[in-house]
Amino acid sequence: MNAKSLLGLLAVVSLGVLFWWGIKTKDAREELPSALAGKSAPVFEMELLDSFKAEWGEKLNLADYLGKKPIILNFWASWCYPACYQEAPILEAGWRRWRDKVMFIAVDTQDEKDKGEEFVSRFGFTFPVVYDPRGSIGIDYGMYGVPETFAITRKGRVVERHAGSLDEAMLTKMVQEVLK
Amino acid sequence: MTPGGLGNLSLAFAGLFTVVGLLAALLAWYNRDARYLLVAKRAALLAFLGTLGAFVALEWALLSDDFSVLYVARNSTRANPTWVKFATLWAALEGSILLWALLQTLYTWLAGIRSRDYWTSPVVLTTLFVIQLFFLANVIFVINPFITIPNPPADGPGPNPLLQNHWMMAVHPILMYLGFVGLSVPFAFAIAAMVTRRYQTWIAETKWWLIIAWGFLTAAIYAGGWWSYEVLGWGGYWGWDPVENASFIPWLLATAFLHTAMVQERRGLFRTWNFALVTLAFAATVFGTFLTRSGVIESVHAFAGGPVGPIFLGFLLAILAVGFFLLGRISSEVRDAGTVVPLSREGLLLYGALVLMTMAFVVILGTLFPLLVEAFNGAKVSVGAPFFNQLFVPLGLLMLLLMGLGPVLPWRSADSETLRVVFWMAIALVLGSALGLVVGWTLWVSLTVGFVLYNLVALCWLAFRPIRRRSLVTGEGFLKTAAKVFEQSRRRYGGYTVHLGVIVAVLAIAFSQSYRLDVQKTLAIGEAWKAGGRTITVHTLRALREPYRNSVVADVEISGIGVAHPRLNYYRTSRTPFAAPAVRYTWNKDYYLVLQAYDQKGGEWVTLRLVVTPLVLWLWISAAIIIFGTLLIVWPETARAHVAAAVSEGAEA
Amino acid sequence: MRRWLLAAVLLLGIAAAQTVGNKPPPDYPPKVFEIAKKLRCPVCRGESAAESNAGVTEEMRRQIAQMLKEGKSEDEIIQYFVDRYTDWILYEPPKKGLGLLVWLAPLIGLGLFGLGLYSYTHATAKREAAFEEAPEDEIARVEAEIARDSTRERE
Repeated sequence: MNAKSLLGLLAVVSLGVLFWWGIKTKDAREELPSALAGKSAPVFEMELLDSFKAEWGEKLNLADYLGKKPIILNFWASWCYPACYQEAPILEAGWRRWRDKVMFIAVDTQDEKDKGEEFVSRFGFTFPVVYDPRGSIGIDYGMYGVPETFAITRKGRVVERHAGSLDEAMLTKMVQEVLK
Repeated sequence: MTPGGLGNLSLAFAGLFTVVGLLAALLAWYNRDARYLLVAKRAALLAFLGTLGAFVALEWALLSDDFSVLYVARNSTRANPTWVKFATLWAALEGSILLWALLQTLYTWLAGIRSRDYWTSPVVLTTLFVIQLFFLANVIFVINPFITIPNPPADGPGPNPLLQNHWMMAVHPILMYLGFVGLSVPFAFAIAAMVTRRYQTWIAETKWWLIIAWGFLTAAIYAGGWWSYEVLGWGGYWGWDPVENASFIPWLLATAFLHTAMVQERRGLFRTWNFALVTLAFAATVFGTFLTRSGVIESVHAFAGGPVGPIFLGFLLAILAVGFFLLGRISSEVRDAGTVVPLSREGLLLYGALVLMTMAFVVILGTLFPLLVEAFNGAKVSVGAPFFNQLFVPLGLLMLLLMGLGPVLPWRSADSETLRVVFWMAIALVLGSALGLVVGWTLWVSLTVGFVLYNLVALCWLAFRPIRRRSLVTGEGFLKTAAKVFEQSRRRYGGYTVHLGVIVAVLAIAFSQSYRLDVQKTLAIGEAWKAGGRTITVHTLRALREPYRNSVVADVEISGIGVAHPRLNYYRTSRTPFAAPAVRYTWNKDYYLVLQAYDQKGGEWVTLRLVVTPLVLWLWISAAIIIFGTLLIVWPETARAHVAAAVSEGAEA
Repeated sequence: MRRWLLAAVLLLGIAAAQTVGNKPPPDYPPKVFEIAKKLRCPVCRGESAAESNAGVTEEMRRQIAQMLKEGKSEDEIIQYFVDRYTDWILYEPPKKGLGLLVWLAPLIGLGLFGLGLYSYTHATAKREAAFEEAPEDEIARVEAEIARDSTRERE
């Protein structure tokens, strides 16, 4: 076997390894590292979904909550089935469990209002949900799909993003991260 | 009998005779016995008929709405028009691989008929049977479309709505597979040549197959471009998406091979290169399939991932390994029959192949780059249209330079007459570019115009010189001579025609990419809007009900052209509507309208996106020219012309 | 845990603008699409923000138009999106670090293939030359060998 064949063999093998790796890590690679990690959370002021107005006011300004408690910021939409439907009860349970220590805020993004309200009443959300039909908050947070969840520290820094449906362990981990 | 039963039976039949054919071909090779070859060729026909049976069975299931067949239940729906149901066979993974297998068995059979060489045929058939077996085994065992479901649903979801929007989508995949599969024949002949150590004749034997495959690939790429232009609603025909690239890479490599094969045929040069090139070109077709079906790289056009990713990867690596192993074994004994003169036709063809291979390299690296970077350091990057567009401008111009000069230069060396035409070509280049700059076009567009003129001068000279020379000798009229010369060297004129088509395409691409207007505006019904040199008026907004979809249609008048009907189609399976754009072509610009939004309450306004692009019509014309040229090359010669050509060739020599 | 990319659900060619009440989307000058073409649609697979009709890209185009109106330059607008989405949002990989490699692809390709080709033709030429310039004594030796072989065969 001469040097040329060896080189050719090496090229074929490395191509194979690269593609094999590509197939194996296909799902893991869908996660995009957040540009916000370690930076301060972008502030927004947005109208709440109607059912929350009585308790939380007409609009919600994130700046009012930053610096008080850590925040779990979640993005969802009623058309995001089943991922958003899977994590919704976990979010509500988490809110009930940690509401003294951690603030939960959700953004109903690019949705129709009535369908968003339907979703809220179906899962009995008691933490505030703002209504962002255009998805402008999503752009500020570099969101690239729903559901997506951001963990924000007491000082207002984004520590973590989780893309995709949350499970209980994941949410617990995020909460512990910001409570540290 | 049920469609599912017929399908599985036919597939088993096809698989059986593929194995029989493979064994017979191997026996023919080991025993040096031509009788086995006959068996193999007959088995090829039976395997083809078997696969055809499976194809018919799946069409039967689709057309009779037999939702007990898994593929039908997943991909078809009752309300679809018949042609959509028919085309649904290749709208999803399982069916498309069945179609591929069908075409592969067809090519194996035809190649068997046409390969008569006692030494190479057994190896050719063995190779083709192995490839065919791969596809059939996939269809039978891995992605069988005929799996029956015990409780069939009453109706299915139907195929992706985008695939129902344009008849081209029914044609494009067939053309693509005909091209892909076509390249397996030159590959098989190359393998045979390397195994039997007969390094020269395979080129002449597979030339016809190669050009056929190239023609289909070209047509398929055009069809895909046309489809994305008329369906996708952003006014572009090429987006440098990984899947589009995957079809472009084999085309580039096949084009390079086509030209170096000419050199080998005429001069006996580049023998080892051609083995490598044909292996790469065929491997590239499998690479494309792998990319589309493995989900390894994100793409809009990707099929839903199945288990076939690793399988196709293995097949790809096997092709590369076998091709290059054989090449490594013989490379020290393959001799070229001479040397390359740098400034001669073979020299230029070689440089052309070099540029084409570089283009393929750029496309491959660009497509795989996000994956490479991520494997290397985990970072995310995107490589897309702006990147490729920038790099392909200089590469394309380099190609145009070589494309004009190559055919003008004679084999082996340049002479004074060619130097004269080269001088005129240079003048055309300078004048064309200067003219472009004076008119105010960008530098790149001006250079493209210059190179297009340069190529036109070359083509005119090439086309008319033989006619003039002959009419000077014979004293006959120009037209009469032209007819004769054309008849005798139809293939050569076919080649020139293809080049003319490419030039027209380049011109269309340069202008359409550089000067396009893309605007969005909300108009009240009846409001007139001046844009792109015309007045655009929305007359009515109406709803339309069809059995399988509902639509909202705007009737938009473009002054001097007529009324266009951009629409939004609502399919049952989709939450949101699909925009179906309306295109009105004129000879220099076309008007492309997309209905973006409309007043859902009162129907008082519509939001339109207007894309005005120059010369796109000429891109489609260039497709017709190229295909016509390809037909001129591959159309079988009549006996009379054949004799005449032989006589004149003898006279020339 | 399948993730719901907007485009994966909705495919392409949707008109999500409809979901925002019943208000018409704003008018866009050509520059908006020119800039959008350089950005990728964050929720799609392989489409630019100019091509896609996903809701996010609609909003991106709206923001681009807004920023243009405010007099921001193209670079500033692109930087705005890079700040939120990292370099990943750019359809042109940055011309630095590893990104340089892909930008130099044509040169690398031409260089590699050119070198291969040069050594190939060079080797052929050398072989030819060697063939033509076989020394006299070598030819004599070969001829003698042939003569010897043929006499032996006759025996």
